[in-house]
Amino acid sequence: MAAEATTTIENKQGIHARPASLFVQTASKFKSKIKIKAKGKEVDAKSILMIMSMGLVKGTEITLVAEGPDEAEAVQALKELVDSKFNEADA
Amino acid sequence: MAEKLKGKGVISGVAVGKIMLAGQNLDGYLKDYKPKKKIEEEKKVAADALVKVATNLVKTIEDLNKKDMKEQAAILEAHRMMVEDPAMSGLIDEKVDETSSAPRAVLDAYETQAKMFEQMEDEYFRARAVDMRDVGKRIAKFILGIKEPEIGEGKVIVAGMEIEPSVIAGLPSDKIAGVILGQGSTTSHAIIIAKTRAIPSIVGVGDAIEKMADGDPVIIDGETGDILIRPTATERAEYDVKIKKQEELKAHYAELKEKPAITTDGQTVVLAANIGSPADVDAAANYGAEGVGLFRSEFVFMGKTDIPQEEEQFKEYRAAIEKCKGHLCVIRTMDIGGDKPLPYIQVGQEENPFLGYRAIRISLQREDLFIPQLKAILRAGVYGKAGIMFPMVINVAEFKAAQEMVEKAKIELAHEGKDYSDNVQLGIMVETPAAAVMTPILAKYVDFFSIGTNDLVQYTLAVDRGNAQISYLYNHFNPAVLRLIKRTIESANKEGKWAGMCGEMASDPNAAIILMAMGIKELSMSAPSIPRVKEKIRSVSSIEAKEILDKVMEMEDGDEIRNYLKTIKTI
Repeated sequence: MAAEATTTIENKQGIHARPASLFVQTASKFKSKIKIKAKGKEVDAKSILMIMSMGLVKGTEITLVAEGPDEAEAVQALKELVDSKFNEADA
Repeated sequence: MAEKLKGKGVISGVAVGKIMLAGQNLDGYLKDYKPKKKIEEEKKVAADALVKVATNLVKTIEDLNKKDMKEQAAILEAHRMMVEDPAMSGLIDEKVDETSSAPRAVLDAYETQAKMFEQMEDEYFRARAVDMRDVGKRIAKFILGIKEPEIGEGKVIVAGMEIEPSVIAGLPSDKIAGVILGQGSTTSHAIIIAKTRAIPSIVGVGDAIEKMADGDPVIIDGETGDILIRPTATERAEYDVKIKKQEELKAHYAELKEKPAITTDGQTVVLAANIGSPADVDAAANYGAEGVGLFRSEFVFMGKTDIPQEEEQFKEYRAAIEKCKGHLCVIRTMDIGGDKPLPYIQVGQEENPFLGYRAIRISLQREDLFIPQLKAILRAGVYGKAGIMFPMVINVAEFKAAQEMVEKAKIELAHEGKDYSDNVQLGIMVETPAAAVMTPILAKYVDFFSIGTNDLVQYTLAVDRGNAQISYLYNHFNPAVLRLIKRTIESANKEGKWAGMCGEMASDPNAAIILMAMGIKELSMSAPSIPRVKEKIRSVSSIEAKEILDKVMEMEDGDEIRNYLKTIKTI
C-alpha cells in the first residue's frame, strides 16, 4: 500500500530555490520512498535537482506518493508544507 | 633573471603576489588516470568520492559559519546538496558504464545536469549550471588526487587557462592581487568580476600559463601585459617604484573621492557612472560616482533564450536604484539591433545594422518587450530616484510615442494594484544628428538629454570607428560635432531642462573643460575615469573655461582643437 495526496502549488514563486530545498529537507527526514507526480512526470522527492528540473510554478497540480514504514506521515508533512505556501512571507 | 611572459593587459595596475593555479585543465590528468578493472569497483570509487567530498564540504561550511561568512557557506551548502542528490548517483553509474572512468563519469553526469539547467526559463536556474560544473570538477579532482587551490599567507595572483567565475567571486577581495588568464576573451565572467573590483588582469597568455607553478612569486603589469615569474631582487625593486607611484596616485584619487566636482569659482557638475549591472554601482561609488547616468539595460536581455519577464527586470532595476542612495539612476531602455541580435527579436539580415531596425525602433513596435520593461522601471522608481532614457530617437514623434507607452504602462500597473513612481524623469539619448538639430523643439517635451558621443560622432561624420583605415577621422572634437553638442546643451538649459553626456567624450578630462563652459550638468563615464575628470574640473575657473571654449569654437579643425586643449596647463 502507498499513501497518496494531491494538492496545488499556491505560493507565488512556485517550487523555486528556497522552497525546493525546504521540500527536500523535509522529504529526507522520512524513510519511505517518496515521489512527486506532475505534468505527466514522476520524480524522486528527495532530489533537489529532479524537483527543480520539473519547473513547478504556481498553479501546478502535484500528487505526492510515498511507500514505506512512514508513508502516511511523509505525505501529510509534505502536503502541509506545500499548502502552507512554504511559509513565504509575501505569498 | 625572471621568466618573462607577455599577455594582453586588460585591467591596469601593477600587482605582486604568489601564483595560485585555478581552473586547471583536467584533460591530462584524465588521460593518465588508471581505472579499476571491474566496472563495479569503478562505480564504488565514484560513490566513495561523493561521500568524502560531501563530508569535506560539511566541515568547510561549519568553518565558514563560525567565521560568520554566511553567504559563502550558503553557496557551499547548495553544492553539498548537489553532491548528495540521489538523482546523481544513478546518473554517474550510467556514465561509468559508458566511459569506464569514475572521474570522466562524474564530469559527464554534472555536465548533463548543467546543460539541462542552462535551458531553463528562469534566470536563477540557468545560473546554477555554473555551480553544477564546479561541483562536478570538485569531485573529479578529488578522485584524481588534485588539491584544491588554497590561500595561505599574503596575496595571490590567480592564474589559469580558464577560471570559473565562482573561483574569483569566492575569494576575498583583499586576497586577490591579480588575475592571469590563458585564453584571450576580455569579456569572460572572470574578467568582468575583476573589472568591477579593479583587480589588475592579463589575458591571452596561452599555453605559457603552464610555466607557472603554485606558489611562484610573480609580478604583473596590467597596463603593458608583462608577467615576471620568480623576479630577481633588482626587478622587484624596479616594480616597487611603480607600485609606490600607483599607491600615491590611488591615495590622491581616494582623497578626491569625497570632494565635489566644482570649478575654482563654484560651477558644479554631477559625475555619474555608466554601468551594466547593479553590482557595478558599488564599485562606482568607490571612485566617487554620484549616481548612474547610463544603465545599459541590454545585459538584462542578452544571453537569454526568452524574453526576461517584468519581475526579473524589476529586481535588477530596483537593486541599481537602491544602491544609488538618492542620486539619480538613469536606465536606458533596450538598445538592441542587428549587430547584437537576440533569439526572440527577429531583426533579420540587414545591409547596415547601424542604420537599421534597432533600439527605440524595435521597442515601439514590440509592446510585448517594451511595456514590461517600462513597468519594471516605473515600479523600481519607488525605491529611489529614477530616469528612463530612450536610445536612437530621431524626432519628436518617437518621443511622444514612447511617452504614451509609459502612460499605458502606468495604467496597467494601476489596474494590477502595483506600486509605481510618478516622478520618473523621461529623456532621450542624443546620438543622431537629427535629434541634435531638433533639440530646441525636443527640449519642450523631454526632462533631459544625454549626449551619446560614440554614435553621434559616428553618424555625424559618417565614420565607422571600428574601421582602422579611416579612424583618423573619428574625433569628438570635430567642429561639426562640437556645434551639435553645444546646441543640445543650450537647448536644454533654455527650457529649464538638463543635458548630460554618457559617451566616451565624457571621460576625456580635456573635453570636460569646454563641456562645462557650454553648460553641461552631468558627465557619466566608466567609474575609474571619474577621479581624472574631477581633478581637471577642480583646476579651472568657469571664466577660464569660457575663454578656452571661445577659442575652440573659432578653430576650424578637430585635430587642432585636440592639440590645443592638450597644451592647456591648469594649476
